[in-house]
Amino acid sequence: MTGMADLPIWAALLVAFLVLLGAVLTLIGVLGLLRLRSFYERVHAPTLGTTFGAGSILAASMIFFSMLETRLVLHEILIAVFITITTPVTLMLLARAALYRDRAEGAEFVPLHQEADPGSAGGDHSGRK
Amino acid sequence: MNGDVLLILIVVLPFVGSVLAATFRPNARNSEAWLAGGVALACLILAAIAYPAIVEHGAIRSESEWLPTLGLNFTLRMDGFAWLFSVLVSGFGFLVVLYARYYMSPHDPVPRFFAFLLAFMGAMLGMVISGNLVLLVIFWELTSIFSFLLIGYWHHNAGARDGARMALTITGIGGLGLLVGVLLIGHIVGSYDLDRVLAAGDQIREHDLYVPALILILLGTLTKSAQFPFHFWLPNAMAAPTPVSAYLHSATMVKAGVFLMARLWPVLSGTPEWFWIVGFAGMASLLVGAFFAIFQHDLKGLLAYSTISHLGLITMLLSLGSPLGAVAAIFHMINHATFKASLFMAAGIIDHETGTRDMRRLGGLFRYMPITATLAMVASAAMAGVPLLNGFLSKEMFFAEAIETHAKSVLDTSAPYVAVLASAFAVTYSLRFIHTVFFGPKPTGLERQPHEPPFWMRFPIQFLVLACLVVGTIPALTVGPFLHTAVISVLGPNTPFYSLAVWHGFTLPLLMSAVALVAGVVLYLLLNGYLNRSEAGPPFIRRLQAQRIFERVLVVLSWKWARSIEARLGTRRLQPQLRLLVVAAFIAALLPISLDDLSLTSLRISEIDAVFVLIWVSGICCAVSAAYQAKYHRLAALILLGGAGLSTCITFAWFSAPDLALTQLLVEIVTTVLLLLGLRWLPKRIEEEGPKTVSLGTRFRRVRDFGIAVAAGGGVGVLAFVAMTSPVPLETVASYYLEKAYVEGGGKNVVNVILVDFRGFDTLGEVSVLAVVALTVFALLRRFRPAADSIAVPDQQRMQNDFDEAEPDRKVGDTIADYLLVPAVIMQWAFPVIIVLATYLFLRGHDLPGGGFVAGIAMAAAFILQYMAAGTRWVEERLRILPVSWIGLGLLLAALTGMGAWLFGYPFLTTYSQYVELPTVGATPLATALLFDLGVLGIVVGATVLMLIALAHQSTRGLRSARVATEAEQEEA
Repeated sequence: MTGMADLPIWAALLVAFLVLLGAVLTLIGVLGLLRLRSFYERVHAPTLGTTFGAGSILAASMIFFSMLETRLVLHEILIAVFITITTPVTLMLLARAALYRDRAEGAEFVPLHQEADPGSAGGDHSGRK
Repeated sequence: MNGDVLLILIVVLPFVGSVLAATFRPNARNSEAWLAGGVALACLILAAIAYPAIVEHGAIRSESEWLPTLGLNFTLRMDGFAWLFSVLVSGFGFLVVLYARYYMSPHDPVPRFFAFLLAFMGAMLGMVISGNLVLLVIFWELTSIFSFLLIGYWHHNAGARDGARMALTITGIGGLGLLVGVLLIGHIVGSYDLDRVLAAGDQIREHDLYVPALILILLGTLTKSAQFPFHFWLPNAMAAPTPVSAYLHSATMVKAGVFLMARLWPVLSGTPEWFWIVGFAGMASLLVGAFFAIFQHDLKGLLAYSTISHLGLITMLLSLGSPLGAVAAIFHMINHATFKASLFMAAGIIDHETGTRDMRRLGGLFRYMPITATLAMVASAAMAGVPLLNGFLSKEMFFAEAIETHAKSVLDTSAPYVAVLASAFAVTYSLRFIHTVFFGPKPTGLERQPHEPPFWMRFPIQFLVLACLVVGTIPALTVGPFLHTAVISVLGPNTPFYSLAVWHGFTLPLLMSAVALVAGVVLYLLLNGYLNRSEAGPPFIRRLQAQRIFERVLVVLSWKWARSIEARLGTRRLQPQLRLLVVAAFIAALLPISLDDLSLTSLRISEIDAVFVLIWVSGICCAVSAAYQAKYHRLAALILLGGAGLSTCITFAWFSAPDLALTQLLVEIVTTVLLLLGLRWLPKRIEEEGPKTVSLGTRFRRVRDFGIAVAAGGGVGVLAFVAMTSPVPLETVASYYLEKAYVEGGGKNVVNVILVDFRGFDTLGEVSVLAVVALTVFALLRRFRPAADSIAVPDQQRMQNDFDEAEPDRKVGDTIADYLLVPAVIMQWAFPVIIVLATYLFLRGHDLPGGGFVAGIAMAAAFILQYMAAGTRWVEERLRILPVSWIGLGLLLAALTGMGAWLFGYPFLTTYSQYVELPTVGATPLATALLFDLGVLGIVVGATVLMLIALAHQSTRGLRSARVATEAEQEEA
């Protein structure tokens, strides 16, 4: 990290700000994962980290390395694209599995078979009685 | 022709022929016979070419370095005696091949037969012309193995399997003894070279280790030659096809034992120990074999016991320690091979024509096959020692030797009587063989009308019987010079005067022969009636079969004792095994280090990076919790394990090892996924019922195991700490690699260059292990039946399927397809992306982090994703993944790349790198290491995917069994 001193002050500030922002957002997401009560609530919290959290850190990385190597560094866009595409897959699979498990165990707060589709995860998943 | 080339050709040709023969079509009898016969004939001609040089110089040698540091050279040495045996082995090989062409049925898979036969011939030839004792033992063992395969050729037949196994067990034990004996000889003499050993006779005989060495070597030779008390494997080996018996049990396999005894005769013989052991074994075999032979009903059984007896005769001759005895022994080796091979072939023809070898059922065959009968009669007359045939000559020499007093003892005094008695028995069984088979009433109840065999099937017998006759009448003109060459090479300056004439005047041996002949005939007349009615086996001791004793010993040793040892010392439980392993490793590490050597330098706190510590604290937490949760919550444990792996990965990145970090990350991902897939098949944890009471024993066990774990883990930690904090020398391996990686390896990524170039051989070994592991996993899982409680379909799938069945407009699988639609599409689209990534990682490997291994794992991950997204069926309908081919091609490519270096005169796995001007890309560094790396990639992909497929197929099979179970339930209801 020898070239760090060569960074102009405005860029350094910007990078620092973005990195911190991303880290804080991710931290909030993690706290949410820890604090929220039901699975269906918790599943949302980490997305803070995978969207804006990751986004700002990637942006910071783009600026940092572009300044350092005096050329446009855009690898991070690829990372962002893949995170955006793959995260929902995790969400869908997890939510579906949780839903079935709760139903099988007869948990109270799970929507029952009122619709045609047995696994309407998109419905009122947070509906607790 | 150069002697070097000639000897190597004689050994190599049969093995090459064997490999070729194995590739033919299953019913290619003719081409197989042409090939095998050609090879045998070529060896015979090569031996013939060598003869003048041997007569002139005594021996020809060929020496090439093999393991020079261990004093082992690939030395071949052919002297007169070895030449004689080479001729016997290749000549008889040719005749047997000719015979086998007609003997083997069109339904037998002949490539296997001829391939084994040729390989056996090669091993035998190698054995007789080895000039190095260790090499000799290696060929010796090869003959054991190939004879096992040949005896067990008809492996659908239980008798063949048992006989083959018994032969291998006995000769294998003997071979082991021989090896140790040879090592002792090598220790005494200081060399394994045959010439030096033969020159060191006095040194060996006077050494303290002479007796152990002698006993061990004799263990090898006596088992091989089926001498008492190891004789019983030979009759059981008669389950082999008759050409095999004719070859192995006349001229080759069983002759190996007496060959070696004659070979080492000048060195080992002449002591009381030699005389007693060899003499007793020989005499007992001579008598017991001849006696048992009388009472066999199986033609081949008779011949087998007669072989034991004749080998006993040879052994006894060798035991005497007199040069004349050795001459007679060598002469009888030739004679016995000649008449016994022809008799075996005749027995095979009879079996072939009548469908039985039981002498009680046979009879009167003379009128159907007069020529074969005549030939068999001449041959058995030779076996009985009738004058004017070759058997008579060596038997007379034997009698002459038996009368002489060599070492005054019971054994020596009884020798002439035993000799006459055994000869009388030989006359009896020879007569029985002829009389019951060819004369008397016509056989009844035969499956077909017997007739003469084809001319070429009979030809080998004719040839051999002619040899019996010619040698028997004019020995000095025919076999004389060759025998003399052989004898000189064994006895050297001690060669005595001997005469090969038929007529020596009225001597005591002639009288003994006459007595034996008459007594044998009388005995047969007396026994004839009894034999036709009795059961097989000699009277009174019929039940006492060495074979049964052997079986019982085998059961006791390999089953009862082994089981009780296993029950006492072994365990099938994983925990004790792991405990032992860890404790052993701990002690092994502790022993060499006294704790004083470990200078523990204390770390200064200021040097510690807080963030790094945090990573490690979380890593350690993950690892410990994983261990803790492993029993209670496997999924959680697996996730935590991933966390620990991730912190390792970050550590690698932290210390600028991007290559390792990358590899670690991908390995972590793939193993986690594979383990997750496997988790489903583990049995459920046994829930303890009732209040939890921990017994004292359990508590002790836990504390002890905890102590072991802490001690071992802490020990490794301390070692690592010391290793990392001790000062680094200026010149390390690392600096060497850093310096040379680009200059010599042509790559900037030092790690990769080390893997594929500097230590490419290690890598080749490692990936081979990986391939083996993958195949093992596949083999294990292929027959794996999951625990009963994990067979059922998971709840979620069951609910989905129930729902689909309940709705009229849906079919089973719709729901899962619906909700997996988006994930599946994304995962499928990820496929090409990951392939591109893998290619990228692969291509940059030589200069930047990446390489074949990482790329392989990435590519495997792409396949895994497809399986997960759409299920086994869907993927396999669309993608033809051939993991075994990937592995095979990968190994082949890696090995071929390595061998490519040979073409340019460099050692194995030397790489070459060069900048190549590619269109549009420009100058590109290319190294042959890239090809090697491609091989690595193939193996990694193949291995990972193979394991995945094993797991995935488990799932489809499990479903099927669950479905069968539910259907059965429904039917019952």
